[in-house]
Amino acid sequence: MISDKILKRVSKPGRYIGGEYGQILKDKNDIKCRWAFCFPDTYEIGMSNLGMRILYGSLNSQPDIWCERCYTPWEDMQKEMKENNVPLWALESGDPLCNFDIVAFTLQYELCYTNVLTMLDLAGIPLMADERDENCPIIIGGGPCAYNAEPVADFFDIFSIGEGEEALCELSRLYINMKDNGSYSRKSFLHEAAKLEGFYVPSLYGVSYNGDGTIKEYKPLYDDIPTRIKKRIVKDMDKAYFPEKVVMPYIETVHDRIMLEVCRGCYRGCRFCQAGNLFRPVRRKSANTLNEQAKTLFKNCGYDEISLTSLSISDYPYLETLCDELLCWTEDKKIGLSLPSLRIDSFSKELMERISSVRSSGLTFAPEAGTQRLRNVINKGVCEEDLMNAAKIAYNGGKSSVKLYFMMGLPTEQLEDLEGIAQMAEHVIDAYYQNPDRKKGSRPPQVTISVASFIPKPFTPFQWEAQDKLQVLLDKQKYLGSKITNRKIKYNWHEAKVSHLEAVFARGNRRLSKAILEAHKRGLMFDSWDEYFNYEKWMQIFADCGIDPEFYANREYAEDEILPWDIIDIGVTKEFLLREKKAAYAERVTPNCVEKCSGCGANKLGGENSCCPKA
Amino acid sequence: MLPQSVRIKFQKINVLKFISHLDLCRTMKTALLRAGIPVWYTEGFNPHPKMVFSLPLSIGTESECEYMDIKITEEMSFDEIKQRLSDALTADMAILDVYAPEMKFQEIGYATYEITPYASYDLSPLSKDEVNITKRTKKGEATVNVKDRIVSVSENEGKIYMILSADTERFVNPEHLLALCKSEDHRIVRKEVYTRNMKIFR
Ligand code: SF4
Repeated sequence: MISDKILKRVSKPGRYIGGEYGQILKDKNDIKCRWAFCFPDTYEIGMSNLGMRILYGSLNSQPDIWCERCYTPWEDMQKEMKENNVPLWALESGDPLCNFDIVAFTLQYELCYTNVLTMLDLAGIPLMADERDENCPIIIGGGPCAYNAEPVADFFDIFSIGEGEEALCELSRLYINMKDNGSYSRKSFLHEAAKLEGFYVPSLYGVSYNGDGTIKEYKPLYDDIPTRIKKRIVKDMDKAYFPEKVVMPYIETVHDRIMLEVCRGCYRGCRFCQAGNLFRPVRRKSANTLNEQAKTLFKNCGYDEISLTSLSISDYPYLETLCDELLCWTEDKKIGLSLPSLRIDSFSKELMERISSVRSSGLTFAPEAGTQRLRNVINKGVCEEDLMNAAKIAYNGGKSSVKLYFMMGLPTEQLEDLEGIAQMAEHVIDAYYQNPDRKKGSRPPQVTISVASFIPKPFTPFQWEAQDKLQVLLDKQKYLGSKITNRKIKYNWHEAKVSHLEAVFARGNRRLSKAILEAHKRGLMFDSWDEYFNYEKWMQIFADCGIDPEFYANREYAEDEILPWDIIDIGVTKEFLLREKKAAYAERVTPNCVEKCSGCGANKLGGENSCCPKA
Repeated sequence: MLPQSVRIKFQKINVLKFISHLDLCRTMKTALLRAGIPVWYTEGFNPHPKMVFSLPLSIGTESECEYMDIKITEEMSFDEIKQRLSDALTADMAILDVYAPEMKFQEIGYATYEITPYASYDLSPLSKDEVNITKRTKKGEATVNVKDRIVSVSENEGKIYMILSADTERFVNPEHLLALCKSEDHRIVRKEVYTRNMKIFR
């Protein structure tokens, strides 16, 4: 626990006080397995993460397990902690992390890796897995980046692959049983954990490399552990654990609202999208379950906004029913409904008006590419007409702000595809003036286009692709800027240097851990924050470690190459991804999963209320 | 008669000294909603529960006498409001009393503070003829002599007690006085609020 004297000196002390309404306190004497669940970023960001809310609740639903929270302290606090010898602590009990049984990190984005080391360091836990002794907590990683966590494999004892709400309780059970019957040792526990479905113990798999730096082989050290680790899924979302309570932060966080998880997975097979593949098969909650859960959440937290979350909300087949049921009681209570990534075209006008009646937000649309040809390549199933329809409905409803999301550097991209981005934005503005039904007195549209750089991600049909070199991306950004002349169009782009570093880690192997360790030693942290991100330092570190970042980011991986993440089985097969890659180059669209199953393989994992054929 | 005004007296102690006024507003708003209090909303484009707070409380200072006024649109007894709201908050923000307001916030004149010093300090600067405090304002720094806003400063059993002006124009932050006294580590708790006529505020 931290003293008031220190808290008075640091910025945003509210990050460190805990004690929120809804936090879970337990009597240590009843507990056999203590978890410190870490989000390697600030409190405000971590507290907004739905996955962490779910896992915190599900672990704490077990009477003999106590899960607490921990976030990365800001740099001023880190300094105070070091000067005053305060080791990193968990918010609920105030106990130092080194006293816990299990310390878990959720890895949501690649640029949090240095923060993981920062936190381990502040906790006084050895950074390298092979330096930890019997007294050290077991360090576990999970979340989207765990699907290719090879760059940080040397720092972790175990990775949890897939959805954790059931798996983490099982792992705790194994821990408790082994402690109870006296068979526990760090080594024997890791060996047993590796036999549980969905757990990858990197130290039990030896990696050898070819002369050119590609991978030669992954070899399990024991015969009784799987050669590939199969991801875990929750089969039935209606029956899945659902956190009825939320820890209510005192200070403002990124998402101060109810997050209602409508479904997992996505029917659409956008070929650049990692989440769309990682979370297959699609599993939906019923409208009835969701409505009840929303009511419970409102009663327990009092947020006046409900956000329906899903990768592609408008594909949820019971959306109208759900919204109708929700609006029955939310309108009265002045609770706003918000739908992210909304495709308004699939919506009735009345419904849209009722949703916007409480809180207004503009139209967002993600065509991702500027021409139909390139949209076919990436399998983005929208056409310009969809966008124009959506814009029209938005204008009729009096909305004037339109946000468009694109990507540049996609495979097969030509200059005309970039020009297409500018043209689409123009057409959206033209549509306003050509629309006689637009709401009287409404403001002329303001179109914002945000352009990200393509990052080849594991487990996508584009996993083999090379990312454009940095200079090429920068030139393309400039080129597009020169094509945008209309003052009603605002042009934002992501920092290409950030995307480059992300690409290095996304497709990285274990050799990168050396660079991450070195980056930590040189004081790098909070890489996802503009004020901390330092590309030049990273490039220097790679050079000093003898690592060529372009080998990972800008190289086309061979189709027959053993990929660092081949050891993980997400359900979707490599054959399917390869088929999709070929289809991309043939500019051929693959129908979405509702229209027709394309045999991606994810159905073998099972799942209720899904669109997949039974395996 | 509805809507009816309701005054809620609550504390803000321990770690909650580190949350700002804005955080407090947000916390109270969600607490009112999860407690199911039929709170009156402001009209307008972005309706929100109407809440009015008594005095500013600087970050770092605790209080056992914070007040918030709301209006309710349906009958609900004060006891029930107190019970429901208490259940919707943690003990550090316990609800102390709920009643119909008897005085206006504008009548507030003074507040008392209990200070527990944890390190050395020297109260003598407060007994000088001039007690100058430098305030940071939007226009820059301004020095104000607050001598006539300090009603009393006393010591008893290792604690310091202060009665200070608390009306909007003449508000004195005890933290500023303690800075003059070179006290670097202490706990400050606001204990009671009084009117200009030194009646306990209700
Ligand atoms: S198994 Fe078929 S329906 Fe299911 S996710 Fe894969 S392609 Fe889609």
